[in-house]
Order: sequence, then structure tokens, then C-alpha cells
Amino acid sequence: MRTLSKYRLQRQIGMLMSYVGIAVALIFFLFPFLWILTTSLKGNEDYFTFPPVWIPTEPSLAHYYRLFTHGNGWLYFKNSLAISSLSMLAALLFSVPTAYSIARFRFGGSLFSNFLLLLRTMPAIALVIPIYVLYSKLGMTNNYFGLILLYTVFYIPFAVWLMIGFIRDVPREIEEAALIDGCSRLQSLLRVVLPIIVPGLAVVALFAFITTWNEFLFAVILTGAETKTMMVLVASYTTGSPTDTFYGEASASVVLGILPAFVVAFALQRYLVKGLALGAVKG
Amino acid sequence: MRTVGRTMVTIGAIVWAMSLLIGPLTIHPVEAAKPYEGTTVRVIVNAEYVKYALTLIEKELYDTHGIKMEVEVIPADAFVTKTLLEFTSGRSPWDLIMFTPTFMADYSRHFEPLEPLIKKLNLQLDLDDIAKEYQLSNMYWGGTLYAMPLDGDIHIMFYNKTAFERPENQQKFKEKYGYDLAPPQTWKQWDDQAAFFAGWGWDGSDHKLFGAGASYKENNYSFHWWRQRFFAYGGQYFDENMKPLINTKPGIRALEELVNTIQYYPPGVLLFESEEPKTMLIKGEVPMLVSWTSTGKRVGDPNQSLIVGKAGFGMLPGHQVDGKLIRASPNTGGRSWAISKYSKVKDATAVVLEFVSSPAQSLKIVMDSKTIMDPWRNSHFTSEKFRSSFPGAGEYLDSIKESFGQTVPGVLIPGGDEYQRRLAGAVSQALQKSITPKEALDQAAEEWDKITKRRNLKKQQEFWKQQMSAMQEAGISFHPEWADK
Repeated sequence: MRTLSKYRLQRQIGMLMSYVGIAVALIFFLFPFLWILTTSLKGNEDYFTFPPVWIPTEPSLAHYYRLFTHGNGWLYFKNSLAISSLSMLAALLFSVPTAYSIARFRFGGSLFSNFLLLLRTMPAIALVIPIYVLYSKLGMTNNYFGLILLYTVFYIPFAVWLMIGFIRDVPREIEEAALIDGCSRLQSLLRVVLPIIVPGLAVVALFAFITTWNEFLFAVILTGAETKTMMVLVASYTTGSPTDTFYGEASASVVLGILPAFVVAFALQRYLVKGLALGAVKG
Repeated sequence: MRTVGRTMVTIGAIVWAMSLLIGPLTIHPVEAAKPYEGTTVRVIVNAEYVKYALTLIEKELYDTHGIKMEVEVIPADAFVTKTLLEFTSGRSPWDLIMFTPTFMADYSRHFEPLEPLIKKLNLQLDLDDIAKEYQLSNMYWGGTLYAMPLDGDIHIMFYNKTAFERPENQQKFKEKYGYDLAPPQTWKQWDDQAAFFAGWGWDGSDHKLFGAGASYKENNYSFHWWRQRFFAYGGQYFDENMKPLINTKPGIRALEELVNTIQYYPPGVLLFESEEPKTMLIKGEVPMLVSWTSTGKRVGDPNQSLIVGKAGFGMLPGHQVDGKLIRASPNTGGRSWAISKYSKVKDATAVVLEFVSSPAQSLKIVMDSKTIMDPWRNSHFTSEKFRSSFPGAGEYLDSIKESFGQTVPGVLIPGGDEYQRRLAGAVSQALQKSITPKEALDQAAEEWDKITKRRNLKKQQEFWKQQMSAMQEAGISFHPEWADK
């Protein structure tokens, strides 16, 4: 009896220690974000107050309002949303059939999927000047389509590589049954395979969205005044000796820069965990 | 009486008739004064706060000339890459370009020379109102005028009068160092005072305060702080054949002093950019600081500063050579405006440039405490409005005006930024005490040689000769013997 209660006590202490550890880690990682969030809601006079104002007594959305009315916040937010969403959809649209043909028909031979990944090994900075020159000649700078195309092409190799694992995991027999029942290949892909690989699609969608949303280099080099994205706005507030005057707007831009990616990640979280776990044992 | 009345009616009729005739004529010249009405000039800047500065004058620009500005921001980190890429492809989506004059050598071939436009449009740029030294480094390239300033970036000294005026401090200092405590005139005095003030409540409090403030971050900041002393000790970047002189006596002495005194500065000074030490100054945590002149506006802002009315301003300390005090205030680049060679509305853009940089409009920009744009015109320094804008503003503006005559430029030849960054890297390594000052500067000199060879020695020599003769004209030449004094 005594051994049992000792065991329980040890277990409870272990649990407590785990929770304390998790809480400390959460505070460590979330504190900067909390500080940015509260700064975006503070008045200018509260930035340097000592002791610091942790939670503003009169929180205000004035910095967000100014970001949208005086700056190009709203336009760049919409641009980011449109470009990220369309790139994500395009990446899914092209990667699923490609991955399907590789998984089922060994399209391109056994090394093709690995070859595709090679494209991802090239650092973006090495490509930026040739791509700028190409886009410039084709008149595709300062153009939504140009950015969407670029992000889609960049993301497809990884998406294909990821999807192959998920598709290979779907038993061929299920598809063959669908084919015997009169489905075409396309129908069996759409009606049988896709519903099974939803977690995989969620992972691809999430990564594509976040990668595109956070991308800065091409977003600044290939865009003009009308097509800039949220990350460019964030950098224009936070780089080049940022002054205290605009800390509020800078913080508001950071919060808005993070928020959509956070929402998408939150919405797809349950698929994400499942998808990552499944994808981890595929190859 | 009737005759008088008739005369009056006649005169009235004539005046009315003339007003009908002259009326349209009087409207006409006003219309003629707005030949660019409806034109949009596209402007590029490198931060939101620069864009904000332009909002201070855009309405008046529109009311005066009918010209609208469309301002685009490219973040500072990507600014040079993006703008030079656009220019090199032989076009530019912008008409008016904000740029850092350190890159003048790289940009100038894409800019429109201003002198022909001045003649053509009779522009009034009030060049006599700008210090000659500043014009040479921030507006001209190869003897051609390309740009007008926006932001007069130089360093001056700020100090907290409490630290220097407390009788207890004065007595303690004199006992320890044998001379009176006063705002430092030489780097030796600065270092003595930094050591004296470090680690105790020189303001009468129980707090452990710091000896002095600085910005030693590698990204060019450490370079600026090093050259404050380097030039005072007789340094020069290269000899006439472009052999680097940074690792000679003046450079080594300057860096050794920075390394030896770092203990008196706040922890984290190696990561400080411009704003951190400014905040420490206005919160009363450091007694003295060398910083950009815009710091004065924060010092004088009662909403954030605890030292309003207690702040002192002065020129940077220097070095005594044979009874003469040699001072060197780094010109840290700042911001200037130029007209794109590829602009389709050059005349309208020139009118905008004239307007933005006019004494009255530029004063609005440099006076506004929300901008970090520094004053640069003589008329900014003498403006009564500016001089009465906060306690001590007059002393502040006088210090800037005097310092303008002592400015030393950065490396203004092609690749100037690359040279500066290599040197800043080496200076930072020495400040971190991972290598000795001599090793750091030898290493930087080697790097400089490589850059020069890669960029073509002969071409670089030609560019350097131009800069060296401009510096000699301003009284800056190589005197390694000063470092021994």
C-alpha cells in the first residue's frame, strides 16, 4: 500500500515537473510575442516606462487603425492573403497529380522524386538576380501572377515529395475496387485517394501557406508599390534604425504578419499532427 | 459736389472695367506657375518614418505646384539591392530616389546631374546655405552635383549636466585625476570620465550607473565609433597608391582605447545600435554619449526624456597636437535625394526636389520630433523657431553647426560600403577581445587590398585620388606622428 502511494506521489511529482517545464518553455517562447502584442495596444508614452507596462490599462487599436489608413497595411495584408492562398492552392493542384503518377506509375523513374528535391537545395539568394532579370524581360515584376507562379514552382518539389509518401500508403486494392466498380483513374484519385490523404493535403497546404506568407526576399525584389506583401511592410517598420515613434505600428504590423499563419496552423492543427506522424514513416 | 460724384463714378467705372480686363490676366500667371499640375512623382524611401517625414510637406507641395507624391518604402535591408537591380536593368519605377551617400559611387551613373536642371528651371537650391564639407561628401560625385540632403547625419556629444555639476562629483574627480571635471574636450578626458562615472550613482541615487554610452554593433556602427578617434589621431583610409593606412599608429591607438574602456560602458554595448544608448541617455543612465544629432530632439521631448533642461551638447572630443585641438565628427552617410536618369518627369521631379529641400520645408522635417532627420542647412541652425523648440535647443544647434566644419567622410569610392563593413567586422572582433587591435586592423587592411584588386586597382586609385584631394581641401591628411602625442 505504501509502495503504491509512493509510486503515485512520484508520478504526480513527475507530472508536476513536466508541467512546470512546459510552462517555463511557453513563457520563454511566448513572452516576446506577448510583449509585441501589448506594445501594439499601448500608447506611445508607455513604451519606455519603468517599471514596464505589461498590460496597458487603456488598450487601443489606434496603431492598427493608422497602419491601415496612413500606411499601405490593408493593401499589403490583402496581397499577402491572396498570394499565399493562391500559391497554396496551385501547389496542391499540381503536386497531387504529380505525386500520384510517381507513386503509382513510377513516373520519371525511381530517382525522379529525389531529383525534384534538388531544386529545393539551391539557396534563394543565388536565384534572385537571374529570376529578377528573367521577370524583368518578361514584364512580370510588380505582378501578382509572377509571385504566385514563383512560389508555386518553389514549393511543388517539397509538396510532391511529401505527397508521394501519403499516396503510397493508400492500399492499391481500394483503388482497384473503385476501378472495377467503374471509376476512371481520375475519379478514383478524386473520390477514393484524396479523402484518405486529407492529413497529407493539410500538411502541404499549411507549409505552403506559411512559407509563402513569410517569404521576404522575392517579395521585396519582384514587387512594386501595389504588390508588396505583409512581410515587406513589417521590415519597412522594423529595419533601418527603427525609431520609438513607430514602435506601435511596427508591433501592429508584426502581429498582423503572424496572425493569419497562426490561424491557418490552428485550423489545420489536428490534421497536421496526424499528417506529420504518418508522413514520418513513409519514404 | 455733383462733379465730384460724377468723377467718382467715372473712376469707379474705369477701375471695374480694368479689373475685368486684368482679372483674367491675374489668374493666368497663377496657372502658369503650376505647369506640372496633375503630375505624380514617384518617390522611393527606405523606412516608414522617412515616408512619414514627407507627409509633413505633401499638402503644401500640392497646393503650391499641383504635384502629388506617391511614396514607396523598400526596407533598408533590401534597399540597395532592389534599387540597383532596377537601375542596372536600365529603368526605374521611381523618379525621386532617397539614398545613402556612402553609395554615391555606385548610384551616380543612374542619377540626373542637377546643374543643367538648375539652369533650365531656374531652381533655387540655396547651396550657400549648406556647409561646403557636407556638400562635397553628400551631394557631389566627381565634381558633379547630383543630390540634395534630406538627413544631415553627423555625430555630436550629449551629456547630462547633473553628472558634471554636482559638487561632490567635481571634488571626487579632481582628487582622483588632478584636473577639473568638465565636459570632455579630448578623448583622454572622455576615457578618464567614463572610468570615473562607471558603477555608482553619480546623480546622487543609489543606482549603479554607467560611465558612458556608445553604439558598437558590428553593422557599421563600430566603424563610426572607431573613426571618431582615428582621424583625431591623424589617420587616413589609404595612401595615394591605395595602400590601406588603417593599421598604422592612429588606427591602432584608436582601437586600443575603445577596447580598454569597454568595461565602463553598459553591458550589451557590443549589440547596441543607435536607439539603445539614446534611451539610456534620456533616462539618466549614462552621463555622456556621442550620437547622431537627432538625439537632441528626444532629449528635449518631455514625454520621454528625464533630462529636459539638464542636457548639455557639444562637439566631439578631440586630440591635442601642439596646442591645437584636432576633432573629427564622422559623417555617417545620412540620406540624400537624387533624380533618376530614367524618370519621364524629370522637370517636375526637380521642382519637388527644390521644394522638399527648401529652407522652409526642410526645416519642418528636421524639427519634427517624430522624424530622425537631422538638420543640415545653416538656416536650420539659426532658425529662431528651432532654437526655442526645447530647453537648450540653441546650444544643441550651435554644436551641430560647429561640428559640420569638422566632419570626416566615410569611404566614398565604389564599394565604399564593402570596405566599411570589413573594417567594422574587424573592429568588432577586437572589441569582443577575440583578437588584438593590431591583428584586427592588419586583417582588415588585407581585406581592403583584396576588395581594391577585385574592383580594379587603377580605377579605384582614380576614384580615391578625387576623394583624397577633397579631404585634403577640408584639412584632412595623414599624420601618424599625432598618434604619439
